[in-house]
Amino acid sequence: MADENIKEKKQEIKKAKRIPNKNYAIKKRLPVRPVEGNNVIFITKKTNFKAQLDKCCDLLTRGEKEIILHGLGAAIQRCCNLALQLETLFSGACQLEVNTGTVDLIDDLEPLVDDLDFGAQVRHSSSIHIRIFRTAMLGANQ
Amino acid sequence: METSQFDATLGGTEHLPFSANSFKFTASRSIEIAAMSESILRPSKTKLIFQTLPVHMRRRVMSHNCKRLPRKLREGHLEQLKKSGLPPKQKRPSRKYRRRPANLLNEYNRRQKKNIWLETHIWHAKRFHMIERWGYRLADRPCDKAFRACYRASSAHCLLQDISYYTPVQITGPVDVIGDMFSCITSRSCGISVTAKAYITGNREGTIHIYKPNFYPLCYVGKVRFVWIQNDDSKKELWLFVHPSQIKQLETIFTNFTNPELRNSTLEHMEKKRKISSKFSDLNINIKTGIFNIFRLTGPKSQAVLNNTIKCVTNLNKLPDKNWLSHISNTSFLHIKEKHDYWENAKLASSPSLLPPHVVIGLIIKDPRLSRPTYRTKAQNNNSVHVNTALLIEIPPYLSYSPIWNISLHEHIKKKQMTNGQFIEHITKTQLVPGEINEDNPELQDVPVVLIQRPGSQIAVYKKIGYGTGWDIIVPAGYGLPFWQTLIMFGARSGGLRETESVAFEMGECYLPPDSDAGSLEEKRIELQLKEKYFRRPPSKRVNYQKLAVNSPFICPWKILLSDWSSKNVNDFFVLRDKHLIDIIQDCFLAKKEIPDIDNAECCLIAVRLHTLGKGNLKQHALICLPQSNDVQTIDNLFEPLHEDVNEKLRKEKRKEHLQFLKQIKRKRKKAKKRGSMVNNTFPKTSSTKPSEYVKSMRELWLPSNVETVRNTCSRPILGYLSHGAFSFTEGKSFGIGYIAFNALVVLLKTGQNKVLIRNTTSRKYRLANVELIKNV
Repeated sequence: MADENIKEKKQEIKKAKRIPNKNYAIKKRLPVRPVEGNNVIFITKKTNFKAQLDKCCDLLTRGEKEIILHGLGAAIQRCCNLALQLETLFSGACQLEVNTGTVDLIDDLEPLVDDLDFGAQVRHSSSIHIRIFRTAMLGANQ
Repeated sequence: METSQFDATLGGTEHLPFSANSFKFTASRSIEIAAMSESILRPSKTKLIFQTLPVHMRRRVMSHNCKRLPRKLREGHLEQLKKSGLPPKQKRPSRKYRRRPANLLNEYNRRQKKNIWLETHIWHAKRFHMIERWGYRLADRPCDKAFRACYRASSAHCLLQDISYYTPVQITGPVDVIGDMFSCITSRSCGISVTAKAYITGNREGTIHIYKPNFYPLCYVGKVRFVWIQNDDSKKELWLFVHPSQIKQLETIFTNFTNPELRNSTLEHMEKKRKISSKFSDLNINIKTGIFNIFRLTGPKSQAVLNNTIKCVTNLNKLPDKNWLSHISNTSFLHIKEKHDYWENAKLASSPSLLPPHVVIGLIIKDPRLSRPTYRTKAQNNNSVHVNTALLIEIPPYLSYSPIWNISLHEHIKKKQMTNGQFIEHITKTQLVPGEINEDNPELQDVPVVLIQRPGSQIAVYKKIGYGTGWDIIVPAGYGLPFWQTLIMFGARSGGLRETESVAFEMGECYLPPDSDAGSLEEKRIELQLKEKYFRRPPSKRVNYQKLAVNSPFICPWKILLSDWSSKNVNDFFVLRDKHLIDIIQDCFLAKKEIPDIDNAECCLIAVRLHTLGKGNLKQHALICLPQSNDVQTIDNLFEPLHEDVNEKLRKEKRKEHLQFLKQIKRKRKKAKKRGSMVNNTFPKTSSTKPSEYVKSMRELWLPSNVETVRNTCSRPILGYLSHGAFSFTEGKSFGIGYIAFNALVVLLKTGQNKVLIRNTTSRKYRLANVELIKNV
């Protein structure tokens, strides 16, 4: 039973796969950004993981009360990893609060033939927002 | 009766005639007269003018300071000084005199005769290194060390550049005729045409590649941006923004289109001039230099800077009658309210990259001086509300309409413009609180502007999305400086031509491709500059390129390269811009398959991006070489063997000879001096500007100029060259843009590899690099 279900699902996925249209080229726009700040970090797949971890550690040890990590799409896993690593690093001194959401992304369709106009399509992508906040104040345990 | 004459009364014998023949008289004295007039005209004495003055009029150091001479003699004195070879040295007028407004203006006008100045010239000249380029005097780079700061501005803040040197060209006429004309000078395979449905509404700006008529793919002119204009009447109008390096070529192309009889009449002189009316003759093409100011904002914060600078007009009724807006016949086209709403929503975007790509927005805004902060502040975009995405997707049809394209309005705008002095006087003297600025001041007229969005990078696999995004603002003439200063006061960082080049490099685009005239001129300029720099070094500090087997280190010899890779002599070449073919070749590259044949393969270059694998810093003019089968494994130890410099011995001999010759001359001169006689200089006078024969021949021995073949000069065959290479901040490593000969690429793929070797001109080390084709050449 279970196997059949999986098979069906796979077929569905295959059907849903986007077929590249010869008349348009798909161009991407930047996603809408949440409020930026010093303590807001956007986790990406391209940036070195260690570098972003160090940045978070730095912020927390410097006395920031909370930092917010945002991850979008494929970067969600990295974002979770990073948050969990931080939790173990600051064991007991930090807590996590996780929110998930969906972000609307706009793709532009650039025409490749003369008699078509520009188009756009909205695509949805999952996002994760992790708030890491200190429970014990800096220097309280020592 | 005969009266006695004077001689007779004295007892003499002479009789004087009663009448004298004046002709005879002068004829007999003609020689004397001639001698006298000769001596007056060309005095034989070698005295100078001031030496001829009577003693009481002579002054000390008269020859040095011409002001001590009587005024009427000064001119002659200066002439004499010039003849004697001494340059007449005039004292520079005092700074106080020079800085008087009238004198300063005169001086500025004099200097503008040679090169065109932009409106922000003086602002730039105080802060930038200025260079002459394309008939303009342009800002090259800021005086402060700002290379990295400018990059940071373009990627995270806001970089501001004055690109008013782009020349607007107005084309009016029926759409199909315009389309026909452009179909002769462009090709469909390079992208969609001018009259495509996507552009014709005027909501988006487009770009096209222009070639000489019916020469495609050869004779590339350049990339041109264009906008269709929405007019109240049915007539269509197209505006091109042409780079100044291409405007001359484009002008001749257009004149040949509109009146072909001009060309014919020059060919067939005596033939009866008859009117040949082509279908293009009812097109009206005007080149309008200097009617707009175009400012380019790059970077995500350019949205914030613009939000603060631009304050839309919301109500037309408030406007005073004398305003230029009253000259518009139908104000309902303006859609002021709707446009204001659209802009208010667009304002919420944190980066211009969120907005529709290439969108054109025509706005009417308040004078930029009214929104200027007192101190330089960094514009921030901290909106808690998010943009309404639905509004971003749809572009309302009225959005691009702007009265700025109506040239007759420009005069009104210019006439009614408040100068800076008037503005300051106005706000300090007439306002209730002196110096306080009222944003709804009716005294200052409103300004029409056009904003054009640039999307920047749109493909995530190559560059981070949105790098190089920004706005281009088009402002009517006269308003350049007020806008510029306001943008600067909101924290935009200004850049020059160097930044244009570096942003193009970071985006991975070709800046002035080599198959255009502009590109080849630029290459020659760089070659000259590098050569001069090279020969300024002492010989012991020069790189010996012959030992490194690099025969053209300062210029990429494309034609020789292409001839080497094909059987025949290539005189003209082109860069492949056919999108479909580029896609095919890219696919072949990834799959390591063989490339299908194309037309004109022997004179085709392919633009590529190159990333080094591992170490290595790519430089300009680096060689792209064909790897052998086991090179990938042994790349760490792959060096070009040291070559022999055949000219070294010759140079040494020549130098020895030359030194001996100098010694000989010196000895001769000394002897002559002893004898007390002047000896005529056998050694030609050296001038500091031109190198002597000896220096020229030595240079030839250092860098032989007759390059005949390049392909097999070093141990690996050369496929192509890098036209630009440096450390890329967006990539975080070294990266280059280069061109590879098509036939060479075929050979590369036949060997079953898709990596190439790269060697810098100053090094023997080969590096491995990945190749990626540039799609938007």
